[in-house]
Order: sequence, then C-alpha cells, then structure tokens
Amino acid sequence: MSVLATAESLSATSTSGVLLDLSAVVMLLCAFACLGSKLFDRYVAYYAVQSIVLSLAAGVVAYALHQPALWALAVLTFLIKGLAIPLATRRFLLDRLELHRDVAISTGLSTSLIIGAFLTAFAYLAIRPSTLPHALVASAVVPLSTAIVLLGGLAMVVRRHTIAQLIGWLILENGVFLGAITLTATFPFIVEAGIFLDLVAAVLIMITFVSGLALRLATAAAPELRELRH
Amino acid sequence: MSALAVLVPVLPLLGALAPLAPLRARGLGFALAGGAVGGFACAVAVAVHVAGHGALEAGSGFLYVDPLSSFFTLTIAFVVTLASLGSVGYLRNEERTGELNRLQLRLYTAGFALFGGLMLASLETGNLGLLWVLIEASTLASALLVGLEGKARSLEAAWKYIIISSFGVTMALVATLFLFYASSPLALSPNQRLTWPALFVHAGLLQRDSLRLAFLLAVIGYGTKVGLAPMHTWLPDAHSEAPSPASAMLSAALLNTGMYAIVRFQAVAIPELGRYTNHVLLVFGFASIAIGALFMVRRGNFKRLFAYSSVEHMGIISVALGFGGVLGLYGALLHTLNHAIGKCVLFLTSGEVVQRWRTRDAGGVVGVLTRAPLVGGVLLLGSLAILGTPPFGLFLSEFTIVRAGFRGSAWLAFLLLALLVLAFIAFARTTADMATGEPAEGVAQERQSIVTALPLLAGMAALLLLGLWIPGGLNSLIMRSIGAIR
Repeated sequence: MSVLATAESLSATSTSGVLLDLSAVVMLLCAFACLGSKLFDRYVAYYAVQSIVLSLAAGVVAYALHQPALWALAVLTFLIKGLAIPLATRRFLLDRLELHRDVAISTGLSTSLIIGAFLTAFAYLAIRPSTLPHALVASAVVPLSTAIVLLGGLAMVVRRHTIAQLIGWLILENGVFLGAITLTATFPFIVEAGIFLDLVAAVLIMITFVSGLALRLATAAAPELRELRH
Repeated sequence: MSALAVLVPVLPLLGALAPLAPLRARGLGFALAGGAVGGFACAVAVAVHVAGHGALEAGSGFLYVDPLSSFFTLTIAFVVTLASLGSVGYLRNEERTGELNRLQLRLYTAGFALFGGLMLASLETGNLGLLWVLIEASTLASALLVGLEGKARSLEAAWKYIIISSFGVTMALVATLFLFYASSPLALSPNQRLTWPALFVHAGLLQRDSLRLAFLLAVIGYGTKVGLAPMHTWLPDAHSEAPSPASAMLSAALLNTGMYAIVRFQAVAIPELGRYTNHVLLVFGFASIAIGALFMVRRGNFKRLFAYSSVEHMGIISVALGFGGVLGLYGALLHTLNHAIGKCVLFLTSGEVVQRWRTRDAGGVVGVLTRAPLVGGVLLLGSLAILGTPPFGLFLSEFTIVRAGFRGSAWLAFLLLALLVLAFIAFARTTADMATGEPAEGVAQERQSIVTALPLLAGMAALLLLGLWIPGGLNSLIMRSIGAIR
C-alpha cells in the first residue's frame, strides 16, 4: 500500500480523519476522568468506555485504509478490552474484595489533574505534527496518544493501590495501541496478534496476583507492601 | 539446519507438557533437564553451522540466526541446562519437605519450561515485533515462578516485578513502533520494516528523529528487563523471592535477553546516530555499576546481594557497549557469557545454602565450608570468580573492557576500576564470612547428591576453562558476532 494513499484517506480533513481525532479526544477525556476519580468501579467504567472508543478508532482506520486485519483487531479490542477485562476486574477483584473508595492516593485529585494537564501540554510540544516525517495521519492523534500514555503513567505513579496501578497500566496500553494503529496501520498482523495475546495473559496473571495478595494481606494497597525493603 | 534451529527452543518448551503426565518431582525435574540438554546440543550444532556458513534465515525473517543470536543462544541454552539440573534437586527437596504442594510443583515445571523456551525463541527471530512478543511472554512465565511460593512476600515481589517490567516493556513496544515508523522512507514491505537484517542493511537511511526516540525508548524499555539503574528496582525483590534455580535463570538468562535486544537496536541506530548511542549506554552503565556496588555494601539477604551484583555486571556490559569498538564489543560479549555462568552457579549455590540453613540472611549463615564442603568451596571460588579474580573467565573479560576504556578516555576507565574495587570489597566480605567460621549447631550435615553437585561443578569448570583458554571456535563465533553488528 502506498504512503500517498494513506495520507489522503486519513488526513485531518477527511471524515475518517475527523472521526479518528474525535475518538482520540474522547479517549483522553476518559483518561482524565479516571485520574480525577476516587471510586474503583469508576476507574473500571472509564477504562471500558475508553477501550470501546479505541475499538471504534480501529474500525475507522480499518475502513479508511482497507485493512481487513485491523477489523479483526477492532472486534477483539471491543470484546476483550471493552467487555471481558472490565467485567473480570469487577467480578473477581472489586466485588470479591468489596472495594469501593480508593484511599491510597499519594497526591490530591486536583493536583494530579493539574499535573495531567501539564503532561498533555508537554505531549503537544514534544510531538508536533511537523516533527513527523510524513503527514500520514490525522495530526492530533499522535500527540493525543502520547498524552494518554503519560496520563496512564501518572495514574500508576500517584495511585498506590494495586488495582488502580493495573488500570493505569491498561490506560497507558490503550494510548500505545491508539498510536500504533494510526502511525503504523500496516504493522504485520501476526505481531499485533501476539501483542494482544501478551496483554491478555498479563492481565490474567495480574488479577491472580492481586487477589492472592489481597487474600493474604487483607489489603492490597502498595504502601502496605512494605516487607521487601532495605 | 533451520529445523535444528527451531528445536533449540522447542525441546525445552516440551518440558511444559511434563506436568500432564503422572510424574513425581524427580520425574518433572528430569523432564526439564532432558529438554534443556537437548536444546543445548542443538544450539551447539547451530552455532557450528552459523560460524561456518553465515546466517540462517527462514520464514521471511521470522527465523533468523546470525552469529550474534547464535552466541546468545549458546550462552542461554547453557544457563538453562545448568538451572534445570538445579531444578531436579530443588523440586525433589520441596516435595520431601512438603513446602510446595503437587499443583505448585507442576506450575513450577510448566513455568520454568515456558520461561526458558520462550527466551531461547526470542533470540532466534529477526522480527523485532516478534522479539518483543516473546520477551514479554517469557516475562509473564517468569512472574509465575517469582510468585510461586504463594507467600505474601513472594506475591508482593511478583506484583512489583510484573507491574514494573510491563511498564518497561510497553516502552520497548513504543520503541519498536517508532523504529517501524523511522523506516517509512524505505521501499520495504511492512514485514521487512520490522525485520532486523533488512533494517540493518538500510540503517543509514532511517528517519533520524524517530530513530533517536526509538533507541532511547528501547534502552529504557528493554533496560528495565536488563536491570539498568534506575529501572532496576524490581530486580532484587524478584531475585530474592524466586526459587533459586529460577533466580539463576532471571539473572543469567533474562537480563542477557534484554541486553541482546538493546544490542540489536544499537546496531541499527549507530550509522545514523553515531557516538550518541555510546554515550547513552555509558550513562546508564555507570549509574548501574555505582548503584549495584553501593547497595552491595549493606549486609543482609545474600540473594539480594547476588542480585545487586547482577545490576553491577549488567552495568559493566552496558559500559563495554558504550566504549564500543571491536575490543569493547568483544569484552561485552565475553563478559555476558562469563557472568551468565558465574551468576548461575552462585544462585544455585544460594539455593543449597537456603535449603540447609533455612534462612536468606547472610548473618545467620556461618561455616558453609565445614558443614557442606562442596557448596562452601563453590560459594567461595564462585564469589572470587564473579568479582573478576584470576584465573577465572571474568577477569579476562573485565580486563578486556578496561583496556577498551583506556583506548577511549582514561578517566572513565579509572572510574570503572574504582567502582570494581568497591564492589569487590562489598561482595567478598559477606560471602567470605558465610563460607568460613565455625558453624552453629543444628544445621544437619547432609550428603551431597550427585545431581545437585553436577551443575555447580560444570559451571565452575567452564569458568576456569574460559579464564585460561578461549576455545578457537568460541573466539571465531564472537568475532563473527561483532562482524554481524558493525
């Protein structure tokens, strides 16, 4: 597939380009909403919404670039990230451990939102569309996905509860994925499928560890994880 | 020959099927060892072929074995062999004492086989995307091993390990994406744009800004796996909580696999970025040596001590890559092999000590030489070897690296020497106190079984051999590896 065709069908002014930009903005808002919340079931809900929007974005790219493999990925994203992971987290972690409010946050909500805003601005400054070699994609998507990655990282840093950290990592992963489908729509499918498989396995193992830890410690908040210290 | 190369990871992977059979601990251990020995034999055959006939390529680059991958495969297959022999003793002992139940014994076997096999597979692919997938998959398998004992401490270590390394590995994925993007000016098929040999041939034409981001993120991302400071924080916990043969695999195989990925990225980045790549590796390398050496000063858990020593040694390898040149690369590769064998032996020894003394605290262990002469002897000599004392292999490789340093800037070489001395004192005072002295009452005098002694003796013999004489075949494999990435 030629680079030129990509540029035309996904430029910022085409319908697909606008849709893609819009999805990226909604995903960023979900990341912010998660950062500004204190309730575990909200974290999971925002992650689910973000993943569903991501699957829409993947569908848009698949449609615009005529990539059948991406359709498969869009469906997988919807089913696994949008439905299965949120449901599993809710059922096996939140309900079983009776978790409601996250009290293990090191920074106040407003402070972390302000830091998040700075990170978003930084993402825009660091990755200007002009630094990209070709105007391949809807221009806003790359800085937006970078911002989502940074916000996910921020959530992992300011939250100390293991489940909150897990959600932070998943949001970060969504950001990477958004960047991946737009920047590198022609990524070989077999590799992309492998990445997906790894993600699912990682989440399964993490859920096992968290519930195991919670059963043993009666709390799985990372500040209580003090045994391994110098 | 390609089929043989495929067997290198597949034979150890077959061990993952052993838990399905109604085997006891001993049988499970021997299944692991059998697969590993078979894999090592195939790795030797592949190395001989590659050294003679050049790189093997099949399946549009998904299978790609050049001398560099062959060298790493050989190193790691040897480590997997030693560690799986160590697993025989470990599994048998845990079954006898009832520390692990039947399910845990089976989980250990499956996790160990997957961990070793996936790592070997990751070294034999030329596709950088698949490399990422396999390294992440092997990480997940190893997380199972770290959390195996199911105590709060080991679960905590496993959580820390999996969350930090997932974060790091995600960065490595972004690096791979940027490298893919950097190759968009090239007239290559999407698949080739991820295939290392194709990228290496066109390395001078890659888009510069994206390439720089790709290299930096790869060093940070895969550096998290390698345990480069400041991304090393998972390492001491995971190494101290994992069962000892698994610690040996983490330290001697997993860290090197991460370093292998960094070497690949550096080779692609050098034509466009030049000395920049060396400077990045020097900074991370010296930071790791300093952090490793300083934390070794503290006396306490001896498995943590060995883990910090791994941080230090990965720093040394990174510094050697930073010095660059034929001498630097030669030192880096030789040191990878030597450190892998030495650290594997030390962690297996630590397993023996933990089994007898039932503690991981260095203060609680005295007189290993008297109670268990073989274990004590290996502990003492292995420590000397890992610290770079002649006549062992690490002396030769560290000497090469310091020489490479003097070719560049003398004060960096002096800094390296000073840090090595600090590490020597910090490490040796703990292990020397453990080995010598009069043992307390109550530690049972056990008969040394042949199975547990075998990997220790084989490893020490290899270290001694590499210190006195580098076989011609190995030398030419290393020289060809350097040729493949320059």
